[in-house]
Amino acid sequence: MSVNLFKDVAKPIMAGFGITRRRLQQRTSKYKDVTVQYPEQRREQYPRTRWKHALKRYDSGLEKCIGCSLCAGACPARCIYVEAAENTDGERYSAGERYAVRYEINMIRCIFCGYCQDACPTGAIVLEKDFELANYKRESFIYTKEMLLDPMPK
Amino acid sequence: MSELIQVGAPNQRPKAPRADELNLRFSPTAISELEALKTHYPDLKSCVLPGLWIAQREYGGSLNGEAIAEVAHRLERSYAEVEGVATFYSMYNTHHDVGRHKIEVCTCLSCHVNGAYRIWDYLKSKLGVGNKETTPDGMFTLEEVECLDACDRAPLLQIGDQYVGPVTEADIDRILADLRSKSDSTVVQMADEIVKVHLRDGNK
Amino acid sequence: MAAVASEVELVNISINGVALQVPKGELIVESVKRLGLEIPIFCYHPRMKPVGMCRMCLVEVGFPGPDGNIRKMPKPQAGCTLPASEGMAIFTDTEQIHRDRKGVLEFLLVNHPLDCPICDRGGECPLQNNTLFYGPSTSRFLELKRHLPKAFPLSKYVTLDLERCIQCGRCVRFTEEISGDSQLAFRFRGASMQPSTFELTDFESKFSGNVIEICPVGALTNREYRFRARPWDLETKPAICTVCSNGCNIWFDHRAGRMVRTNGRTNEAINEEWTCDRGKFGHEFYNDSNRVKHVMVRNGDALVESDWPTAYDAIRMAFAEGGNRVAALTGPSNSNEDLYLLKKLFQTRFNSNNFDSRWTTYLPTAEDDLQKKMGVSMVQNTIADFESMSKVFIFGSSLADELPILFLRVRKGWFNNGNKVVVASDKPTDADSFAAEVLRYRTGTESTLASGLLALAVEKGLAQVPDATRQSLSKYTAEHVSDETGVSVDALHRAVELVAGAGIITSHGIFNTSQPQDTVETLAGLAMTTNGSFNCYALGANDQGALDMGVVPFGGGMDTHSILQGCIDGTVKALWLVGCDPFELHPDYDLVEKALENVHFLVVMADHQNGAVPFASVLLPETAPAEQDGTFTNMERRVQRMPQVLAAKGSAKPAWRVFSELAIRIQPETPPFGPADCMKEIAESIPSYAVADYANLGGEGVLIR
Repeated sequence: MSVNLFKDVAKPIMAGFGITRRRLQQRTSKYKDVTVQYPEQRREQYPRTRWKHALKRYDSGLEKCIGCSLCAGACPARCIYVEAAENTDGERYSAGERYAVRYEINMIRCIFCGYCQDACPTGAIVLEKDFELANYKRESFIYTKEMLLDPMPK
Repeated sequence: MSELIQVGAPNQRPKAPRADELNLRFSPTAISELEALKTHYPDLKSCVLPGLWIAQREYGGSLNGEAIAEVAHRLERSYAEVEGVATFYSMYNTHHDVGRHKIEVCTCLSCHVNGAYRIWDYLKSKLGVGNKETTPDGMFTLEEVECLDACDRAPLLQIGDQYVGPVTEADIDRILADLRSKSDSTVVQMADEIVKVHLRDGNK
Repeated sequence: MAAVASEVELVNISINGVALQVPKGELIVESVKRLGLEIPIFCYHPRMKPVGMCRMCLVEVGFPGPDGNIRKMPKPQAGCTLPASEGMAIFTDTEQIHRDRKGVLEFLLVNHPLDCPICDRGGECPLQNNTLFYGPSTSRFLELKRHLPKAFPLSKYVTLDLERCIQCGRCVRFTEEISGDSQLAFRFRGASMQPSTFELTDFESKFSGNVIEICPVGALTNREYRFRARPWDLETKPAICTVCSNGCNIWFDHRAGRMVRTNGRTNEAINEEWTCDRGKFGHEFYNDSNRVKHVMVRNGDALVESDWPTAYDAIRMAFAEGGNRVAALTGPSNSNEDLYLLKKLFQTRFNSNNFDSRWTTYLPTAEDDLQKKMGVSMVQNTIADFESMSKVFIFGSSLADELPILFLRVRKGWFNNGNKVVVASDKPTDADSFAAEVLRYRTGTESTLASGLLALAVEKGLAQVPDATRQSLSKYTAEHVSDETGVSVDALHRAVELVAGAGIITSHGIFNTSQPQDTVETLAGLAMTTNGSFNCYALGANDQGALDMGVVPFGGGMDTHSILQGCIDGTVKALWLVGCDPFELHPDYDLVEKALENVHFLVVMADHQNGAVPFASVLLPETAPAEQDGTFTNMERRVQRMPQVLAAKGSAKPAWRVFSELAIRIQPETPPFGPADCMKEIAESIPSYAVADYANLGGEGVLIR
């Protein structure tokens, strides 16, 4: 098979750069900037983006998490560690008998699959949009319950 | 008094009484009756029901924990086993301390259509107590029961081992007056009758 | 129990069209297992009588009609109460049965709360499993469920959650049939039916832990394990219990390096599947904060943290004199390997025979050995033997406290086979409840009673003895014995018939009584002359192993009492305590205190802080049984392997490694590289242990005879 230098090589290249030329001309009108000036500028994320986990609270301030460890069971990366304890009348953290006294996620291991969110019977753990997880030390990637838990509602 | 499990129970449960801590209250007659009844059955377990009847009589009409423990002790059963039996049958008065007379009102179908609830309400207002409650003077206990198997006499009351029916409000006033004047407890009397039946049956 | 007759009559049945022969009367729920099929069950338990309470095991049953076709019964039957009979056709997999199972489960779930996420049983729950496999995916029950208080503390160990109870009666039947205390019963009826104790008093069973394991839902849960972990968080390893000498098989569950719980593991030869409370809840010490983690060496008044080489040097210096100047005492839970290497270290490096593993008031001497004296062994029966032994004589032991699993076996023999049990004890025991005869003697008259029974057996012609023995027994007339011991003459006469030819059980606890050697010899003689058998069982986890390993001063060394006395007198300069707290083990507290104060150099090797630590010159951290690999010999002389489950705490080392490291520092040789190597060495010097090679130690362990 012979190669036609113009038809098979030059013409597709020109057609390709043609798109670039059109985009450059129409930049301000039809097409918007693709690149944003992070971190000054932040792009809005898709609604179902899954990044850092958050432990939710009820409106009353009680934690939704009951320390059932189902998230840990569902986790394919085995990155969740839950230790439960019993609520007492004096110290009540969650609605039922049980609450999570330790809740740790190893963010290095986590693959953000969202299975924990699926498994949670109370909707306590939700993967939210905070994606800025970089840190200097490996130990800092163990996110504890205090780091994950939503603040008390006002 | 046997209790259902309550909320907020203390962490440490009390210990069951040891055999030597029991306050045995059976009279000599009761003991000899129990000895006689023991011979009627191949093993002591079978003697629990009549034993409980004797206890119900000896303990004044109701079976509290002490009564159950005494029967268990005398029949060499565990306390829990005897309590399980006693709380299963509704004719043993384990749920509450009964008065001297227990008025059981049948509210099953036949009695119901013949006005059992009219009678029931009348009795309640007259005695001032509800279901399974005892009047403050310890005279009457009112209880709503299932079919007493005498639908021809609906509406029906059972007082002690007697069926009374059909009854009207007027009858009730008379019955209550009669019972008030009675010196013996019909509840104890009934237990006594049943013990006698047990003793007689064995001697045939 | 599957009702299998002694001469097995077989019947032809078919299950799902597959023809097979099963023993007549076998329960269908068992027959089905022969085909590898499974019937869902809740209330049925193979070791207890069937009751047919839960209706989960429904099967369709048919019989061949006159025309040869199978005619099914109109209603399904409960497989757990249905005995196999000739021609029976069982169907476990029909459309009808699937619908029935769905219905049963829907009913069971009507009142069962769906709090699985917080339930300790969630993840290993038969109700969850059966619902997943056989149940409906949704419920049609929209009304309010029954509500009852949750987490009711029934005892120190057991929590009752009534809402979750499906009223299968397993716990009630366990206390009635297996443990025999009948502490639980169904109280009240209908919706308020609750398995609980008399008036909700404390659930005081010695075996209450088992009801937690057999509960098919989360109604009875473990108070110690409560909310500690979920089943999928756990790592589980087979292990053995080292709390007493029964050597029960357990599953050792751990999480993140911490002991979480133990469960019974099936070993038909020992514990079947049961555990006692002492064992089941006796492993908490692994997580204690007072574990010894670092080598400490005394510097003036204080113990300061040090390292192993320093400690070894100090020990070498102190023990250099050797001979009668040094001694060692061992505790109940050292492995065979530890004990053997200790003995070797002392014999070959310190040239000493001063080591002892026994802590009883009376310490039998080499001459007291029954094997030498009478030609019989101290341990003649296995635990399983007592199930089929028609006569059992328990002497001077509160069996449920000392050897709980043996107690269950003896009781099972009585319950299932009607074995006759005679109990002789100075205090009330749990075995009294089913004993055919109870001999309650005065404390201190053990040997009189034993001699009296032997004399009576001779008098009645039940035992043949030489004339000399007959002479010596002549003073033990029934009346004399009765006066001495407080046992009535009638009782003695009744008992002797049952005692002759019986399997005699006594424990090393007998050596704490007066004249124990006479008692033991008389009982052994009684067994020998009446064709019975005699057993004097060890009590500590590896006490029997210590005797087998020869950690007894029969080679001319000093025994426990003389060693402690020697410490006071100054004849013993250096003492090594291996995994033992003499204050707890030795009957004389003051003697121990004086000995530890006066001994020149004291090595304390312990896994947790004990009373001897303040006196230590060197404190060595020792691994606890589950933190090292090793073998244990139980009281019936069954060698079992305890694998390493947890990592060693701090710088702790297994005792055998310490002994071998010290030995090669004193005089180089090839050390054993692991416990398996140690066992090979043991087999060379103790031939009976040759069978206990690590390759053979799977399954039920190896019985040494």
